[in-house]
Amino acid sequence: MPDLPVPLPSLAAAPPRRPRRPLPLPAYGAGAVAAMLVAWWAVSGGRLVPAELLPAPLQVWQALTEVLREGYRGTTLAENVLSTLGRLGGGFGLAVLTGVPLGLWMGRNRIAGAAIDWIIQFLRPLPPLSYMILLILWLGTGDASKTALLFLTAFPIIVAASAAGLRGVKRQRIQAAEALGASPSQVFRHVILPSAAPMIFTGLQIALAAAFSTVVSAELMAASDGLGWMVISASHFLRNDIIILCILLLGLLGIALAWALRLLDRRLVHWRGRD
Amino acid sequence: MRSLPNWAVTGLSILLVLSAWVAVTRLGLVRDLFLPGPRDLWLGLQELLDEGYKGRTLPEHLGMSLLRVGTGFLTGALAGTALGLAMGVSRKLDAMAAPFIEFLRPLPQLAYLVLLIVWLGIGEGSKISMLFLAALPVAAVAARDGVRNIPPERLRMAAALGASPRQVFWHVVAPSALPEILTGARLALGIVYATLIAAEIIAGSSGIGWMILDAGRFLRSDYAFVGILVIGLTGIAIDRLLLWLERRIVHWAGR
Amino acid sequence: MTALPLTRRSALAAAAAATGALALPRLSRAAPAKVNVGFFTEAKPTMIAKGQGWFAEGVGAPITWTEYGSGAEINTAMVGGSCDIGLATGSVATAAGIAQGLPFQVIGLVDNIGPAEEMTVRTAANIRSPADFKGKKVATPFGSTSHFRLLGFLKTNGLSQRDVTVLDMKPAAIQAAWAKGEIDAAYVWAPAKSKIIEAGGTPFRTWDALDKAGYAIADTIIVHNDFAKAQPASVVGFLKAYGKALGMWRSSPEEAAKLVAQQAGVSPETAMAEMKAYEFVDLPAQTGEAWLGTPGKPGKFAEVLKGTADFLVEQRSLRSAPPVGTFGSALNTHFLQQAVA
Repeated sequence: MPDLPVPLPSLAAAPPRRPRRPLPLPAYGAGAVAAMLVAWWAVSGGRLVPAELLPAPLQVWQALTEVLREGYRGTTLAENVLSTLGRLGGGFGLAVLTGVPLGLWMGRNRIAGAAIDWIIQFLRPLPPLSYMILLILWLGTGDASKTALLFLTAFPIIVAASAAGLRGVKRQRIQAAEALGASPSQVFRHVILPSAAPMIFTGLQIALAAAFSTVVSAELMAASDGLGWMVISASHFLRNDIIILCILLLGLLGIALAWALRLLDRRLVHWRGRD
Repeated sequence: MRSLPNWAVTGLSILLVLSAWVAVTRLGLVRDLFLPGPRDLWLGLQELLDEGYKGRTLPEHLGMSLLRVGTGFLTGALAGTALGLAMGVSRKLDAMAAPFIEFLRPLPQLAYLVLLIVWLGIGEGSKISMLFLAALPVAAVAARDGVRNIPPERLRMAAALGASPRQVFWHVVAPSALPEILTGARLALGIVYATLIAAEIIAGSSGIGWMILDAGRFLRSDYAFVGILVIGLTGIAIDRLLLWLERRIVHWAGR
Repeated sequence: MTALPLTRRSALAAAAAATGALALPRLSRAAPAKVNVGFFTEAKPTMIAKGQGWFAEGVGAPITWTEYGSGAEINTAMVGGSCDIGLATGSVATAAGIAQGLPFQVIGLVDNIGPAEEMTVRTAANIRSPADFKGKKVATPFGSTSHFRLLGFLKTNGLSQRDVTVLDMKPAAIQAAWAKGEIDAAYVWAPAKSKIIEAGGTPFRTWDALDKAGYAIADTIIVHNDFAKAQPASVVGFLKAYGKALGMWRSSPEEAAKLVAQQAGVSPETAMAEMKAYEFVDLPAQTGEAWLGTPGKPGKFAEVLKGTADFLVEQRSLRSAPPVGTFGSALNTHFLQQAVA
């Protein structure tokens, strides 16, 4: 996310700067998270809200240490995190490897675009859970159907973003490169791809978030490990402490993955926003 | 092929997929449990239209689902946009709210399904809350980025011309961020739509998402496929509607 | 569908009985590398055989245990070929699967459900007779044996699904909604059943009348056809392991309850109480006419399955149901016979 060049309020009001040094911005974030934790502590654990509704932070902490020490129903926490990440990596990775080339092709080739686009448009709004049963029927209950579900969530988003990215390349730029004697492959590598990359990476970020939000659906049926399985299993037993623990872990993992992809984006597409 | 217009290519491609489907099911290459044939699907659709599904007609199921999607999306997108605009204007607020937004955005909705039931019960409230929570962070991020991407010159100019902060917000910031807000709204709608089935797991017997799940339980793939087609087609229709709206509004906003 | 041609069966029966499983030609094959078993976490003697490793010993291979959310999910996994044995799947899912021609056969019973699944009404809702259910909200997990019973209850009492709001909810959701006072009644099994009774519920007896009216429900052991064909010795061993666990439940229930409790994650008292609600049918009794019967002479259970499937067709959960003979031939009692021999 590009940083705003100048803070807005001071711009709008244009006041003379006060000499007092403001707190660094991350302090506000930390403060808000801390305030949230304190509020959670204050209302939970039977103080304001019964423990069945909201376990106290301490209980969730104990659940964490318990799971770290003894595991959860015969699985360790690390195993569960890794198997979820493995399925996500497989599904998302496959979607990137196939979706980006397909999208680029659709962007370049009018016929391919017109022939395939309707399938992508149809797949995009489908709730993943609607075809989970079909995937199990076709691919079995193993990792294949789970990975396929995550793949199908990410794939249409990546294809659409790649195609749109390619179509968005300014015609003049291509013509300029051609006028300077660049070959079609040179034009593609040095002009088209770099211009389409920011859009493609934005698509990848959206696709990753979509795939990540599907990991629990993927592990809803016939799973025996994974963070999604763990939270579903805890739901069956109304183990709120484990559920909240899983939610926290899933949320943090989601943030970490999004952050990693953004870092990659900044490294690879350093020209973003300088069109 | 080269001279064919786009719609003809799309039409041909649809025809190709349909005939492959007919061929595969007619020749018995796949069982109807895996993939129902066109006839099964047609009969299934007629049955659903004539007799409904488990106590409700097909339009009723669809209507319930669309009502949930609509309410969850509108409330979530409005609240998210308001929050996002505020975050775009105030860096401090952004710093405070961002951790929660970033946390919520990729969080699988199924993870907190039981908590929603425990807190809010099994009625429409918990279903709509889930859709609300799906829409909110997406809309917030889009609105914030929309504000952030406004060229600073534009703001400086407005301020130099003597506009008050309120005027700058309403006449410069909000309209300039509108295109991104609307793009975000479409994205949010897609996510709300994808969350529909999860929401209808809560305590069913109504909704097209629940119907698909329930039919899937007994491998009634004809009903399940009808449901999937209905959900896919309405999804496209709503997306197109929003796109059309977006074009009109952005045009009006005079980008 | 049967593992052996019937003509050869009688000739081999004596040999099989004498030398155990080894007389059958197919049994000379190597033991399976691993066996996929689908199960539910519940308080039943099956958990003893699972926990003590008897099932693994019986099939002669390590077992991959996969927990499923419903019998319908096990059916789906059977089609996908990722489940060899389904343990304690309900008779409704079993009947549906047979009607749809799914590739599995019934090799035994775990239990006759009887009063273990029963209606619970909120005491404050003042429901005394079936007519009092009008306008009430009743929850049950759809597609389950409990759902089947509930619909049977409504039907036999002349109530339509318009009179009563029937909600599809998982047991955990039923518990949560019960605590908030959002539902008036629920048809469900333990532990949710005992939890909601504790939280202001009263059992409303329906099961014996429904059993008589043709809404009997049971839990079965199903095996994928390919697995039954390739590994008959393992199938027999699996049944024997369950027989051993049943024997323990009969001879020393206290100890059995303790072992079950460990596996199911409940207290031994709870395990004991929950197990007492089921009728666990001994393996020899399963070969009787009242249950599965013997090869070539399927027992009454075939009719129960047929009746269940017909009801599902009426509910439009199934497109059609085959004649009773199809259900009879889906009961493969060869293995049971060998296991009790």
